[in-house]
Amino acid sequence: MSENEKILVMRSITKTFPGVRALDEVDIHVDRGEIHFIVGENGAGKSTLMKVLSGIYSSGSYSGDIVFNGEIKHFSGIKDSVKEGIVIINQELALFPDLTVYENIYVGHEVANKQGVIDWIETKKLAKKYLDIVGLDVNLDSLVRSLGVGKQQLIEIAKALSQDVKLLILDEPTAALNENDSENLLNLLVELKKKGITSIMISHKLREVEAVADSLTILRDGKVITRMDSDEINEHEIIRHMVGRQIDDIFPERPKFKGGKVVFETIHFNAYDRNLNRYIVNDANIKLKEGEVVGLSGLMGAGRTEFAHSVFGNIDEYKISGGIIVNEKHVEFSHPQAAIKHGIAYVSEDRKKDGLILGENIGQNICLSSLKKISKNGILNFFKQSFFAKKYVKDLDIKTPSIYQQLKNLSGGNQQKVQVAKWLFAEPKILILDEPTRGIDVGAKYEIYTIINDLVSKGMSILIISSELPEILGMCDRIYVIAEGLQTAEFDKEEATAEKIMHKATVV
Amino acid sequence: MKNEIKKINPVLRYFYVIISMFRTNIRDYGMYIALTIVFLIFAIMTNGLFLGPINFTNLLNQTAYVAVLAVGMTLVIVTRQIDLSVGYLGAFLGAYVVVSVENLHGSIPLALFSALLITVFVGIFKGFFVAKIKVPSFVITLAGMFIFKGFLMLMTNNRTIPTSNEFFNKIGVGYLSTAKIGGLDMITFIMGILIVILIVVSSILKRRKNRKLGIENESKQIYITKTLFVIFVLLFIAFNLASYRGVSYLLLITLVVMLVYFFFTTKTTLGRRIYAVGGNPEAAELSGIKVTTIIIIVFISMGILALISGVMYASYVQNTSPNHGPFWELYAIAATFIGGASASGGIGKIVNSVIGAVVIMSLKNGMALAGFDSNIEPIVLGSVLLMAVVFDIYTRNIRPVDLVGMYYAKRKYAEEYTKAKQNLKEAKQKLASAKKTDEPLIEYEYELTNAKSQYSRIKNKIRSSNEEDYQDMIKV
Ligand SMILES: Nc1ncnc2c1ncn2[C@@H]1O[C@H](COP(=O)(O)OP(=O)(O)OP(=O)(O)O)[C@@H](O)[C@H]1O
Ligand SMILES: [Mg+2]
Repeated sequence: MSENEKILVMRSITKTFPGVRALDEVDIHVDRGEIHFIVGENGAGKSTLMKVLSGIYSSGSYSGDIVFNGEIKHFSGIKDSVKEGIVIINQELALFPDLTVYENIYVGHEVANKQGVIDWIETKKLAKKYLDIVGLDVNLDSLVRSLGVGKQQLIEIAKALSQDVKLLILDEPTAALNENDSENLLNLLVELKKKGITSIMISHKLREVEAVADSLTILRDGKVITRMDSDEINEHEIIRHMVGRQIDDIFPERPKFKGGKVVFETIHFNAYDRNLNRYIVNDANIKLKEGEVVGLSGLMGAGRTEFAHSVFGNIDEYKISGGIIVNEKHVEFSHPQAAIKHGIAYVSEDRKKDGLILGENIGQNICLSSLKKISKNGILNFFKQSFFAKKYVKDLDIKTPSIYQQLKNLSGGNQQKVQVAKWLFAEPKILILDEPTRGIDVGAKYEIYTIINDLVSKGMSILIISSELPEILGMCDRIYVIAEGLQTAEFDKEEATAEKIMHKATVV
Repeated sequence: MKNEIKKINPVLRYFYVIISMFRTNIRDYGMYIALTIVFLIFAIMTNGLFLGPINFTNLLNQTAYVAVLAVGMTLVIVTRQIDLSVGYLGAFLGAYVVVSVENLHGSIPLALFSALLITVFVGIFKGFFVAKIKVPSFVITLAGMFIFKGFLMLMTNNRTIPTSNEFFNKIGVGYLSTAKIGGLDMITFIMGILIVILIVVSSILKRRKNRKLGIENESKQIYITKTLFVIFVLLFIAFNLASYRGVSYLLLITLVVMLVYFFFTTKTTLGRRIYAVGGNPEAAELSGIKVTTIIIIVFISMGILALISGVMYASYVQNTSPNHGPFWELYAIAATFIGGASASGGIGKIVNSVIGAVVIMSLKNGMALAGFDSNIEPIVLGSVLLMAVVFDIYTRNIRPVDLVGMYYAKRKYAEEYTKAKQNLKEAKQKLASAKKTDEPLIEYEYELTNAKSQYSRIKNKIRSSNEEDYQDMIKV
């Protein structure tokens, strides 16, 4: 293949942070008009590599060459790379919640004359055009705040298109999307490919990699392990290279659930959202038995997270009616503290907002909800804190130079592991896990599943909320399906199939 | 459930549409409501004197220097910063210009130009420390507040220095002088009418363009009502001012500043980027916006407006004094928040902040005019600010409402509604009587919650109805 067909070559890229060699002589190349995937474990260096490529880490802060369209480029900022047609959509979306849809698309590269006066009419016209291309039908004037993640993601892509993108970089775009939205997005990428737009995408969802990748590069510990082309791509091979060992079954074995007494139950449970003006949870009757893993399945926005929030001390201040019974006692939780006292813990899906303190280190975060365990008479024992931090870093294989690393310097997946560790350490009786493996690599997923099995064998009960059907099917003894706030079905492990669940999740 | 409903009476429909719009968007109208209430109260208490031509003119003149500061402060607050130094900075710059002209006999352009250089330099300095060195703006501008207070005292030598130059007279107490016809100042009146025409024409053009682009316009009724209201207010102002002395230079400068900034913040790249930076600094950086530069620019703009404000104030009171400056910045900040700006950034409108300034100065002016004990004034001001902020938070998640839709829904679901209400009543009674016996209550409790949720479900169905949903079943 001649150099000419390669839109991008990155040669021996090395990037270090204090104590971490995030990228170590990385070589990748991408052909014109293909969809190239970067896969690898959490902390492998995928996001870092893309930040180097897009100029977020400016030239000089790393070593090695970026060859784009046959020329060596030195980007000193994101503006330079955008000028060349390289646009990145980060793991954290970069939108402006209080600005309108059309303005969001054009912030930073406004349609304006030389004096800087914006032509709003033209802006709206163009915005509409790009929204049509990405297939998003929203009111141009609505604020981005009012849209769901799936739509926001499409706005980001419309924004990229409006910047005349040639190489589109997407860092885990489907992590926060449900199956439908993910599929939409992948179809869109294939559409764009036909229009000649090359994409690089990072993903932990190996199924979608298998489905749309033309080629991929596997990273591990900052090094390239291998590159595969479309005919060689298969899930098992990818996993083997990623993790460096064979994982035969993604879901570890667990003895069949034999039944037990009910430890948690909601009866005719309703949560009414005063702002949205509707029931966000509608007559939920959910049971959790001792030692059982129960799944809560449904589309994004179906009300699963809202259910968890309203059970766990009514965090969102909905209007609640109906009953919660814990250990045969009628309870009311007006604050998470009350729920925690009754042995309930909730691992939030939004780790930034509800879960972690990014400015503090790993040990502090893990011990935050169980300070009693590491203190005596109100005085903290920092040796214990370090001890437990070390234990969980090892158990969950958290990639970090030390337990004193601030959370914000960890990769996305490793932050998620810390969040899980925090609640595992609290040792609750009833654990609600909301999207526990979002953005987590297969190896670490296996670790988390193993821990779940271990915990239920000791009598803990776990409620898993997940958009990933395989995870629900593979891990849960019983499954509830929710659609638009209504509980539409209940399946036992044996009778549940992906089709049945999807069917019940889409009909009301 | 009924399948046919009678069409709503058109007059009733009109009122429902207007009230629905008002209730849904009440957040945008907060300061207008506040202003109307304040105006009405004082007008009544002073037998109309408060809104009379003379006092109304005075009120606007008094507001000028705070309004100009509030314009700058809006952008500072939009970018999540604060500037406590502008009160004394403004007073100091005013003193600098006055002293240069009056005592040192410098030329006015030179005095203004050198003051401009000083304030730009100060702005760069503040912005640099805030954006680059990351010193919290609260701290750095607090330091500035002390420093400029000192400079002010040095500059005035701790004495009050009167202004005598024609320039200050014109700005401070001068009016756009024209012929009066029939007791009305013509230029003011014509200006008022021109503005009205401009607003009407431009809004019609905008609606047309939107229609061409397929973008939804607000409904005709709402548009016409709103426009008529604006015309009425503008004509009232124009008429009122014209019957006294017309438009003062203070007012003119304020209007120019407001319009320039309105244009700047709504139509220019730089202006919109300020809002982007305030709304999400990380995203702004990733969109290729230089956050540091933007913040420095915002502080420079604040400084320039402080200069204008300081010169206006000195001209208005016809002197410069070491006592000028205190509370100016706080009035400006309060005006901005009354105008609906958000301390968490990204939200805040220029015109609304100016109206916020008018609210504050109306309180001061009105209470003096109505003969309140002047010690009460700060208490009232503080309370109004508090109410404004509470109002803002309370209306943050307001539910849209369509009274016309509700009108139809109430008729359509009349039976269901009565039944649900009846069930609820019964469930309550059953529970109450069960409480008197030894029966276990749990079943009754569930029955009650169910009845409650049934009831609120139907209520909400009604509450969330839209007129469009009922088009098919309206009887003609
Ligand atoms: N700003 C930073 N300071 C210090 N270390 C960092 C910083 N950013 C990333 N790292 C480290 O660099 C390594 C690579 O991180 P990167 O974010 O590229 O991982 P990733 O492959 O994207 O992982 P994930 O799948 O979890 O998103 C990690 O060990 C991370 O802790
Ligand atoms: Mg990453």
